Amino acid sequence: MTTATGTAGSPLHILILDDEPIVCKRLKPAFQKMGYEVETFTDSASALARLHETTFDIVITDLKMEGADGMQVLTGAKESSGTTHVIVITGFATLDTAKESYRKGAFDFVAKPFKLRDILDCVKRIEEKRRDEQAPDAPLTV
Amino acid sequence: MFPGIRTWWQRLVTPQPEQTPEIDVWRLHALFNNFKRILEFNNAILEDMARMERALGGEYIFDRAFLETSVSAIASKVHHVTYNLNALTANRYIPLYDRYQEIRTLLDDILSGNVQALAETAVLPLMDLGWELEPLVGMDLVCLAELRHHPGIQCAAGFVITSEGTRALSAPGQVPTIAARTRITFEEVRTGLAQQLQLLLAQHPRAPFSVTVTRIEDEEEPVQEIGRFVLTPCPERSEVAIVPQEPLFAGSLPLTSTTVFAHWPSERTTEPSPANDSLPVELLVHCLEQIAQTTAATLGQIEHQGATPFCLFVRPAFPAVLCGNVQTRDVQRLPFDALSVSAHPPEHETDNDVYLLRRTHPFELLQSVIPPRPDGRRFAGNRLATDISADQGQFARGSALVDLPMLRSLAETAMLLERLFGAPLTVDWELLADATCQVTRIRPLTISSAEVKEAANPVSASNQEPAPILCQGGQMVQSGVAAGSVVHVTEEMAPADFPPGAVAVARVASPNLTPVLQRAAAVITELGTAAGHLATVARELRIPAIFGMVDALSLLGQDTEVTVDAGETSVYSGIVDHLLRYGAREMDLSPLDREYRMLRRLLRFIMPLNLVNPEAPNFAPQGCRSFHDIIHFCHEKAVDELAHFQDRRSDLGAIRTRLMALGVPMDIRVLDIGGGIAPDAGREPTAAHALSEPFALFLRGLTHPEAWTLEMPALGVRDILAGMPRSMSMLTTPADTLGANLAIVGRDYINISLRLGYHFSVIDAHLGEDSYRNYVYFRFAGGLADPKRRQRRAHFISAVLAAMDFKVTVKGDLVIGRLKLVELPVLRSALVALGALTAFSRQRDTGLYSDADTSELFRCFADAFLDDFRRPATPLSLGAAA
Repeated sequence: MTTATGTAGSPLHILILDDEPIVCKRLKPAFQKMGYEVETFTDSASALARLHETTFDIVITDLKMEGADGMQVLTGAKESSGTTHVIVITGFATLDTAKESYRKGAFDFVAKPFKLRDILDCVKRIEEKRRDEQAPDAPLTV
Repeated sequence: MFPGIRTWWQRLVTPQPEQTPEIDVWRLHALFNNFKRILEFNNAILEDMARMERALGGEYIFDRAFLETSVSAIASKVHHVTYNLNALTANRYIPLYDRYQEIRTLLDDILSGNVQALAETAVLPLMDLGWELEPLVGMDLVCLAELRHHPGIQCAAGFVITSEGTRALSAPGQVPTIAARTRITFEEVRTGLAQQLQLLLAQHPRAPFSVTVTRIEDEEEPVQEIGRFVLTPCPERSEVAIVPQEPLFAGSLPLTSTTVFAHWPSERTTEPSPANDSLPVELLVHCLEQIAQTTAATLGQIEHQGATPFCLFVRPAFPAVLCGNVQTRDVQRLPFDALSVSAHPPEHETDNDVYLLRRTHPFELLQSVIPPRPDGRRFAGNRLATDISADQGQFARGSALVDLPMLRSLAETAMLLERLFGAPLTVDWELLADATCQVTRIRPLTISSAEVKEAANPVSASNQEPAPILCQGGQMVQSGVAAGSVVHVTEEMAPADFPPGAVAVARVASPNLTPVLQRAAAVITELGTAAGHLATVARELRIPAIFGMVDALSLLGQDTEVTVDAGETSVYSGIVDHLLRYGAREMDLSPLDREYRMLRRLLRFIMPLNLVNPEAPNFAPQGCRSFHDIIHFCHEKAVDELAHFQDRRSDLGAIRTRLMALGVPMDIRVLDIGGGIAPDAGREPTAAHALSEPFALFLRGLTHPEAWTLEMPALGVRDILAGMPRSMSMLTTPADTLGANLAIVGRDYINISLRLGYHFSVIDAHLGEDSYRNYVYFRFAGGLADPKRRQRRAHFISAVLAAMDFKVTVKGDLVIGRLKLVELPVLRSALVALGALTAFSRQRDTGLYSDADTSELFRCFADAFLDDFRRPATPLSLGAAA
């Protein structure tokens, strides 16, 4: 098994937000098994508060929730740290919501129901992207 | 002579084309659009259903919204199918709308958490419980009842009062309302109780009764045992003591802690007859009423939010010689992945043996903890404690209370129950005086989160040396991890020969493997679909299953020890302990999840296909019990409507079919339902115009020159006389039996009804992009010769079909063959061969005077056409008939 790493060699830190506990319950151990550090939330207020406290490498958020919705969480995550990658998951996927998610800086947009493998692959891609960006010979971006 | 009679009769009974006005084009299109839409909707519904089923197997991460949208989408399509069938048949199936609405309402009830409508019977034997009753009786009792399919230890006999039954029993004065959507009344429950008690008392007149109270459908837990009582009659039988067995609690309040006595309820009936030595039924019924009412009152005090559902399990409490429990996961004794079995005499709870066994077959004994026992005491196998002569190195088991075979049997049964329940369990068992071992109840095993974390520590798992992967790929059907020895399974293998706990590896996911699944630890097939019947069974039994794993039979050798991780679609060499510990990992969807339970309940009214025989009396709208039944019924009736179109819908004029110009002595009229015939084909399409791949393949065989023998066999007088009743019967049934040969073709689909002489055949086939949906169905019947020769021809055809790997059924001169779950080239070759067979076998029965003739005929056909079948056909350049 490869070690999942975030900044300075520490494990990637992932926040999962979904008002349906079953989604958090199933995703958390799957990511833990891959070596990631995971925190889960079922209400967006608590998740946003936590985002203000600490920096996460990846945020996986549902779109349609009571209180602050996924778009607000996406914005909040990006505001708290520009390096945070956000994956939006939703059971009510439309082209418009997907477009808006990407426009606001989402890394990917995944429609529910999804296969566990799909979201694990998505996180793997983020991990590879981060590795490439952190490599010493990575080309400078202006 | 016969062709003359036939022509004359045909003119008499069949409307001539010039007498029938041609149908309006738009009406024709509307009609066949309905048929086409039924096919399209059916396919879409089957896909939706398959997706829901796959979600049950753990393939998808989903939430409640997925369930709601899936039900809504499927229901909408089923409604459309119902509408389209009625549009096609001039509203002949209006009652289907009622069935649709009833099922839809049930599904909505399940989504809203209302399970009252599922209740039809309030009191029923434990053995009669199925998963559909889980919302009313709890998962624990359904799992116990499932042991009836298991060859090992059985559950205790008894009966269950469902949550609707206890609801009625707790409120004698309450009248069921329409709003409550329940029909169960207080008196009905009492009647049911009396019947079940009478049955038990007839077998065991003096046994006390054990009553277990279980609260079901709690927010956090699917089942929670809240009380257990023994009903013990006094010697005079005028009263019964209700004795609480354990200090169990419902929330913070004790359910009851003191023994109460139920007296004879004098206001109801007279005293029991002294002539009858058994316990009075009426008194026992009264005891159960008291327990139900006490429980309801206590739960009502705690919850203040309406009735909390609970059920009662009642069984005779026989005196046991040994009892104990199995804990299916013993995390205290790491690093073993072990289960523990405890055993003690009923009267000496401290005299307790504890055995540790592996959780996988063959359930190796790891450790025995046996307290000292006095000399002279006899133990398992009737041996003395000091006698170790028969020990054979089994950890000095001369003093053990339980012998090794029974320990393994208990372990196997407990692991089966854990798999069904979806979580570690405590399984209570008893050994009775007659050496019968039975499971009396199961309870979720409470393991602290720290223990779970340690048991499934990802870091420690990652530190393990990775096990070599033997085989990888395919489609996950049911998630989970299991280990065992590989056993290659053929369809001929008797289920009893399959060793319990082994890993079944088979070529095809055939429904015939179902009994093997009752014994297997995991199942792997090279071919098969996650939407098939076997997949449904694997999910029902929660057996880790991977279908479509290429070369599994060659890569996984017979008797090889392997560990199957179905979620990862991987098979590892050997027993991989850390993977097995992950077997109960939290990421897997399990029956403990509300969404899982809701999905399973929904699927009960969506997936099962109960209407399988179109000839059966219940093949009617009223017989539809699921959405699958409705769409299957609609499909069958739509095909039937097209087959009888000219006869039934004379008001619409003549069907606008086109006669194929095939260059063989046979007329086939074709009806294109979309993409089957080239648009520029004109009035007489040729084989080259067939865009439908299955049709083109069939025509390739049908028009093969070698398939046609010009000299007709000579008919004897005996043949003609034998054929007369059949032929007259055919002649008097116009559209069905004497109409033109009709081919309904679509891009991927054919349904061809042929009448060649006095033989009837139907070829129904689908060749599409999804190879798991493809199939070829062939049906052949009829003939003119005497029964013996028709039977020989049936044998000839069945031999041809069997040579092509069809599953064949022969009844008299009726031959039915089905071919599916094989590679596309095999299906293609089969369709070519069927085309040739159709031409080749016409009136062959009249020349079959001996079995040797049958063999010769088969040899001729095999030489000409089955050799080609053995070298599967390449994809056609469409329309290129041979």
